[in-house]
Amino acid sequence: MKQFAVLQLSGCAGCEVSLLNAEEWVERYQLVYMPLVVSAYDVPAVDVLLVSGGVRTDEDLYKLRKAVKQAQQVVAVGTCAISGGVANLGNRDDVRALFLAREERYHVPHLLPKSHPVDAMVGVDLYLPGCPPTPELFMAALSDPAAYQASKTVCGECGRKKVREMRPEHLLGFQQGRVLPDICLINQGYLCIGSSTRGGCRAPCTRAGHPCVGCRGPSDAFIEKESAAWLASIQKVFAAMTDIPPDEVEAALRSPHLALFLFQFADYAGTSRPKEKVL
Amino acid sequence: MTTLTFPLSRIEGHAQVVIEVQEGQVKSARFQATELRGFDYLVRGAPAEQMPVIVPRICGVCSTAHHVAAVRALEDAFGVTPPPLALTIRELLLLGQLLQNQATSLFVFTLPDRMNVDSLLEVTAPVLDQAACSTVTGCALHVRQAGTHLIGLAGGQFIHPVKAVVGGVTSGIAADAAAAMRAELEAALPVACMLLDTYWEASLALRERIGTWGDDAPACYMAAVAGARPNFYGDFIRMMGCEGGDVCATFAARDYRTHLTVEESDYSYAGHTSYRGNVIRANSLARVNMWTQLATSRADAYLQRFHAAFGQPTHALLLYDLARGIELVYAIERAMEILVDPLDYEDTDVPYTPRDGEGFGLVEAPRGPLIHHYVIEDGLIAQAEFIIPTVHNVLAIERALRVVAERYITTERVNLELERAVGRVVRAFDPCIACATH
Repeated sequence: MKQFAVLQLSGCAGCEVSLLNAEEWVERYQLVYMPLVVSAYDVPAVDVLLVSGGVRTDEDLYKLRKAVKQAQQVVAVGTCAISGGVANLGNRDDVRALFLAREERYHVPHLLPKSHPVDAMVGVDLYLPGCPPTPELFMAALSDPAAYQASKTVCGECGRKKVREMRPEHLLGFQQGRVLPDICLINQGYLCIGSSTRGGCRAPCTRAGHPCVGCRGPSDAFIEKESAAWLASIQKVFAAMTDIPPDEVEAALRSPHLALFLFQFADYAGTSRPKEKVL
Repeated sequence: MTTLTFPLSRIEGHAQVVIEVQEGQVKSARFQATELRGFDYLVRGAPAEQMPVIVPRICGVCSTAHHVAAVRALEDAFGVTPPPLALTIRELLLLGQLLQNQATSLFVFTLPDRMNVDSLLEVTAPVLDQAACSTVTGCALHVRQAGTHLIGLAGGQFIHPVKAVVGGVTSGIAADAAAAMRAELEAALPVACMLLDTYWEASLALRERIGTWGDDAPACYMAAVAGARPNFYGDFIRMMGCEGGDVCATFAARDYRTHLTVEESDYSYAGHTSYRGNVIRANSLARVNMWTQLATSRADAYLQRFHAAFGQPTHALLLYDLARGIELVYAIERAMEILVDPLDYEDTDVPYTPRDGEGFGLVEAPRGPLIHHYVIEDGLIAQAEFIIPTVHNVLAIERALRVVAERYITTERVNLELERAVGRVVRAFDPCIACATH
């Protein structure tokens, strides 16, 4: 039976909760290390190591480096481990200065100067993006990632209809106003970026009426390119489907401190993420 | 001086217990949170209306409570009253949160302590007469899954919900989806009750083996309340039994600083709170000590059995876990009641105008009262505070740790039961470290 371990660095445990929901693995794989679920204090030799969360403290870094030596395959799980996630908002210089100055403590792990994605520190064999990845994606990562079939983008999975005659003239903002069922959120003026966000989540947010915030990161078309290419493609979609002035979209996409894209702008540390390695 | 360090597992997040001993005397017993992400700093400058999507990421276990607290804080700042449908869907969200959390705490975190194993995955004893599952492991995962399904239904996304927005919710719940969820809960209810009965028996056996229910000194109990029925969409914070009396204070979230003392700690990334010098206890036992009835049949039967067996109020620490079981049953029954009503009509939200100012949002999270406090300038978050339930329990955790340390450490030896006892004490409070340090 394939053995796997889950190393949780600085994160929210949402990835772990999602993994618990994928109950099929219980019968098929042996979980040998996962502090949330199993009382075991060290990562033993395993076939697969799932790493969630960002590298935020010296202890995170120590545990990560120690654990990867035990693993045949290392999988970076969730947005924090891959591209920084919400912790990225804390990498802004003014914010870093604030909490590094105020949060010194005795006898607890020290904070690193900033939060790092896992592949800035160790080699990664497979990326499993999402905030969190769905149970279905976890099962695919554990069993046969190459065989996993999904739409290229969230748009392809959303099920809302694009309507030619609805061309909003201004952005509605992030979530204001009553959401019409079944109609594309861009047609309604919402800043939805599902058109270039990686598919595979089955679009739960947009189906429920909330714009896609891009937690799965760029689709295959953009993942090997600079983030500017991704932003440009979103602007092109808005230009084609709406009459919203390009400046307005541009300003919103670069909204204060890029908060909307809080999921995607970590220190990529010069590592390339080939699309074959991203589920 | 000897320092004993106990790493902790089967809790949410990273923490450890450090006990210092000198010549058999316990000098200190500390609960240390060892992670920090700094949400009160990192949300600065974020557009206020994005908070309901950003803050669930404080914690993947308690995300729903943060989602709803954020929306309430913004509505408080903007002066918005959401329509009844939105309130109902938010109540469902919080019930899903309660169900998911209490099932996780009860089965994933503490059942292994009752069974003397390292994880739930080892509790493979067969279960008879259940259609949905054949082992304790399978049944337990099945019940907690119903909680995340309920969050998914009421919140859109199943871990970090998106449906609650300022002014209401983004959509209702279609009749067929509600009926399917109700059927799932109906199937989960007898499984949950069966597991709770097993857990109850195992707890009595544990009590028999170790000879105590743990720290049973009185404390100041704390919960968010609203109206007569249990309501996790709380309006006020209530303190009970602080100086021997019954209710000693009821206050709004915005007045929390006049009642609670919030202090930082130099050995932990989590602070602690107290009430006029008293140790506070929040979470399941606080609520069960306050409630006389839940108004759903099976949960009420368990509640009466609990009060009859242990008294009301009761202070014994390990009863926190049983109290969680009662709430698990309540969450399922109450969600089933709500799902009977139509939830797909159009009146999902009210229009509003964002404005600058200050807002407080309160919910009763599974671990106790959760407050979000935002100051908004130019539509952006200028300042944010998160008042976390686990932080209210920190002094109670340390008091209970001292009790077990003194029980198992003598001048001659350290009884190795101490390691397990430390785990049981901490897990009884079900602390959430990601939240506590945020």
